Amino acid sequence: MIESLPSTVALPSWLQAVAERAGQRTFPKFAVRALDFHYDDVRALKNICMDIPEKKVTAIIGPSGCGKSTLLRVLNRIYAVYPGLHASGEVLLDGENILDARFPLHRLRSKVGMVFQKPVPFPMTIFENVAWGISHHERLSKPDMAERVEQALRSAALWDEVKDKLKRSALSLSGGQQQRLCIARAIALKPEVLLLDEPTSALDPIATAKIEQLIEELKDDYTLVIVTHNMQQAARVSDRTAFMYMGQLVEIEDTETIFTKPNRKQTEDYITGRFG
Amino acid sequence: MAVDIYIRRRAVNLVAMVLSGCAAAGGLVFLVWILWITLKNGIAALDLKLFTKITAYADQGGLANAIVGSLTMDAIALAICAPVGILAGTFLAEYANRTRLGATIRFLNDILLSAPSIVLGLFVYVIVVLPMSNLTHGAVSFSGLAGAIALALIGLPVIVRTTDEMLQLVPGTLREAALSLGIPQWKLTTQVLMRAALSGIVTGVLLALARLAGETAPLLFTAFGNNFMAFHPLDKMESLPVAIYQYTNDPNPALHAIAWAGALLITFFVLLLSLGARAFLKPHRSSHD
Repeated sequence: MIESLPSTVALPSWLQAVAERAGQRTFPKFAVRALDFHYDDVRALKNICMDIPEKKVTAIIGPSGCGKSTLLRVLNRIYAVYPGLHASGEVLLDGENILDARFPLHRLRSKVGMVFQKPVPFPMTIFENVAWGISHHERLSKPDMAERVEQALRSAALWDEVKDKLKRSALSLSGGQQQRLCIARAIALKPEVLLLDEPTSALDPIATAKIEQLIEELKDDYTLVIVTHNMQQAARVSDRTAFMYMGQLVEIEDTETIFTKPNRKQTEDYITGRFG
Repeated sequence: MAVDIYIRRRAVNLVAMVLSGCAAAGGLVFLVWILWITLKNGIAALDLKLFTKITAYADQGGLANAIVGSLTMDAIALAICAPVGILAGTFLAEYANRTRLGATIRFLNDILLSAPSIVLGLFVYVIVVLPMSNLTHGAVSFSGLAGAIALALIGLPVIVRTTDEMLQLVPGTLREAALSLGIPQWKLTTQVLMRAALSGIVTGVLLALARLAGETAPLLFTAFGNNFMAFHPLDKMESLPVAIYQYTNDPNPALHAIAWAGALLITFFVLLLSLGARAFLKPHRSSHD
């Protein structure tokens, strides 16, 4: 699409960057273009443009209220649950605009999974927690379903801890286990993207380390986007880091660059702890 | 100076504590008193013929027809108001929450909740009893069904309110988590939210039943009363509250005694329902916060 543009056309700088990258890299999984977001009259996201590369971990950091969670919640349109919220611009998932009302929600959400800040197991058994979502999208025989659930729990590094108590209530698990169950639930649908909204902020350090290790393993198969207020976490787990401030994307770069020689003064001030 | 403030604060604290303690004790005293008097007078008249004989025998009889009538009408009333109330409460919490329509319905429901029960009785008299009488040329007028409809109107707002509130207590993150899996709203509501709020909703239904089981006024112009055993919902029906009302208006002290026994029966029925509601709420509450 972009390659076909004649080179003589003067492109806006962001598009130029995309066009240059298009030649050398795989097309981004998500391409966010001129995204604006309004909570009633408050403009929470201002003209966001960014690419999220496939099968990499992209971290979004920034001080509280900068819009990082809002941006994440646009990527699977979960914000649409509440009235009065409005997104405009384009968010292209493999080239298709998901903000287009014609883009079917169930397809979007089976492609883009989400894990929330607080672990939220459903009030059912451990097995049902994973199987419920699958059964909505696919008709599987009993043994196939059992295999699929096991596979998801294994990928979420939870299988060994729960294999003998699949019939127990999910609410009996510890917080860290519940969060891994939520990850298993999301990847059981075989999504392409996994959105993680501060997935470890309610967990203790040991559970956090397990989740971070899991993120490391998951990026072989999935595109991950993680919102975190913890800069060390972003540095540990991500390949790309976006820094946001007051509803704007200040910069997005390779994680190493962001944490060693950021282009913008604001980013440097934030990561060195001068504000935020 | 500083010491003065502390002494004053402790004094104020003491006064407030004593006053609120007295108020709590005062309320409790009346509750125990009511139970005690009902128990004392009711037990004296408690007797097997209460359950075997009908009110037609007056002071030689019992309350069998009133007990059957009450149970029948309460059951029909519940069969009407529980499904409607639960669905309406679900609509308010899940589909109309934070909308003008939802706020309006909630307000109207609260008005119904506090409407004088005699007004509801008159309303049902006008919209059910009179048309029914006209339609059947007087063959059916007052009926157990009309009584049950009046009772359902008493129970309905209670169930709407509790279902609405219980569903709203379910954390929003649970909704987001299900929707983010691509689960549609109806499946989320029936399979997750209802399950999470189940104990609260059942409690609301039991409390509504307790509330409508004790109502007298809505039955006066609807079920009317009947000294004989009636099983058919289109017959006039006796009920415990109405029997108590009629017997206490009678000069015969033997009838007063039977009225006390009836009062004891209702009290125990309601008490059992409340205990049942509590028992139902308990084991579930700790499991999800």
